[in-house]
Amino acid sequence: MLEGIYTGLTTAFLPLNLLLVFVGCFAGTFIGMLPGLGPISAIALMIPITYGFNPSSGMILMAGVYYGAIFGGSTSSILINAPGVAGTVATSFDGYPMAQQGKAGKALALAAYSSFSGGTIAAIFLLIAAPALASVSLSFQSSDYFALMVLGLTAVSAFAGKGGFLKASIMTLFGLMIATIGTDGSSGVQRFTFGRLDLIDGISFLLLAMATFALSEALMVILKKDKVSKKAEEAAQGNLGSLKVSKEEVKDIAPTIGRSSVLGFFVGVLPGAGATIASFLAYGMERNLSRGKEKERFGKGSPRGLAAPETANNAACSGSFVPLLTLGIPGSGTTAVMLGALLSYGIRPGPRLFVEEPQVFWSVIISMYVGNVMLLILNLPLIPYIAKLLVLPRQILTPLILFFSLIGVYLVSFNTFDIQLMIFIAIIALVLRILDFPMAPMLLGFILGRMMEENLRRALLINDGSYSFLWERPITLTILIITLLTVMAPVFSYLKQKRSEKLVTA
Amino acid sequence: MNISHIHKEKYGALLFLTFSMAYGALALNIELPFFMEEDPFTSRTMPEALAILGVIASLLMILLPTAGKQEKDRLSNAFRGLNWKDVILLLGLMVFYGLTIKTIGFIISTILFLAAGFWVLGERRIKVILLGSIPLVVIFWYVLSQLLGIYIDPGFMFYS
Repeated sequence: MLEGIYTGLTTAFLPLNLLLVFVGCFAGTFIGMLPGLGPISAIALMIPITYGFNPSSGMILMAGVYYGAIFGGSTSSILINAPGVAGTVATSFDGYPMAQQGKAGKALALAAYSSFSGGTIAAIFLLIAAPALASVSLSFQSSDYFALMVLGLTAVSAFAGKGGFLKASIMTLFGLMIATIGTDGSSGVQRFTFGRLDLIDGISFLLLAMATFALSEALMVILKKDKVSKKAEEAAQGNLGSLKVSKEEVKDIAPTIGRSSVLGFFVGVLPGAGATIASFLAYGMERNLSRGKEKERFGKGSPRGLAAPETANNAACSGSFVPLLTLGIPGSGTTAVMLGALLSYGIRPGPRLFVEEPQVFWSVIISMYVGNVMLLILNLPLIPYIAKLLVLPRQILTPLILFFSLIGVYLVSFNTFDIQLMIFIAIIALVLRILDFPMAPMLLGFILGRMMEENLRRALLINDGSYSFLWERPITLTILIITLLTVMAPVFSYLKQKRSEKLVTA
Repeated sequence: MNISHIHKEKYGALLFLTFSMAYGALALNIELPFFMEEDPFTSRTMPEALAILGVIASLLMILLPTAGKQEKDRLSNAFRGLNWKDVILLLGLMVFYGLTIKTIGFIISTILFLAAGFWVLGERRIKVILLGSIPLVVIFWYVLSQLLGIYIDPGFMFYS
């Protein structure tokens, strides 16, 4: 392991890679700060640039963008109460009241310190957990992978929240269906191509990610008309106040940070949970743990209420890399985009990555930590200036985002059909967004679709065409039972709610 | 029942039901090579399974009661009050961009796209429109084609 850490350190500290982390953090902060644009869009917009680098550098850039986008999201949550990212919604509960009390600088600094601490603690967990899990998962076979993917996809739906289970399942299925477009690798049969040459290779994941996130998020902002621009102007012109945090405050939030990091990391590891759920859970946990006066301050600018979600969402980001790096199964939309990028480099994450491409494995882990340090020492002092970017006029920014999304996809294929297909998909995504259907499960389904089919086919081949492995292989069976329980959880809570409603009316 | 009064989620489920059925019909018609027809797992298996699951999920969503029955969740309200004009114009511009990038070349079509995009979203200062598009596109083109060595089609117009 020490050797691995050393490899990672030497790769991550190459001047080019350090520069990339910095650029990534900065670009991520900027994009994440724009209300409406989240980390998935930020990463998707960066992918065409990463094609010019080797896989390690590309992943390092994307990890930087990921952290930057989360931090940028916190900034807009605190300053203008408009979270750019779902993972930072909880940050605005106490961050925005603090900013209104004239302590915006302090709130931003607290957010940065908590993010940093959460990232640090989680990075240590990741260092230990990832190789351990990778060595366990080396014994996994195709059938286990198939079961794991089913678990991953159902978990995304199960964590979708009240009333969201079916919607998320539908979107996952939609993604899986889109993944079947193109030539079936094993038989050479064309599926759903309508005889079009342009569809023979299927739809590229970059195209889908750009269309359903970058393009449709940018258009959605226009569609809903901007209501936050006035607040943004005030925030950019106003004084942020001091960035200093006193010793007492540090002492006050230290236990919060400790608890929230552990919680955040483990929630992040769970497939489908991720930063959003981690931040809400941590916020709820802190509020329940605090007593008396401190409890009353929650929602009115409590430092603990700010530190908890900020720590947890960063820790969860690190946690979500565990299933990606060790099993090759992304647990969130963001890591799904990263998986797509890795696959296009010809790298297949999973336990073999740890053995075959240790420099990628370790440098990603190390550079995530470097990204955290960068955010703290470079982004924090720059915040007053970055905040000014919030007022960059929408009418200039949106066409530029649209242009970068279109050209990013076009420059890979040089096929204008791709541009038209992107617009078509973006329109579908817009309608689905208006109808409140989530996009991330679709992306996850799309990325996992082909792998799922491949693994199921292989498992059947190994097992002479019989499906008995589903209940005969203990690992597969265990995973499938967990899957079933995950599916049943929303059903049980639905029935429970029904019963209590009946009791009330009776 | 007037369709505009239904809950927007149900409408989404209805759309997906239609899609799943069409997808399933196409899946049944996937042509298989003769050696595959007897296999337990063919190129049709997964699409067929997905179509069935899609129909089940969307039917469940249509039949089960919805959590929130608020007025604003109605289909007719979901699409109301949105800034459709600008979005449709931008979509049109993107289509135009896709059609012209190969004929009039990257530089001219991109400048036109950006300038028109700024205009559509309400920018009326000619100086800002020109400064926001021309230098950026030229620099972008220079970095890509001259520094990074990525070939960009100059456009059919310039061959003749």
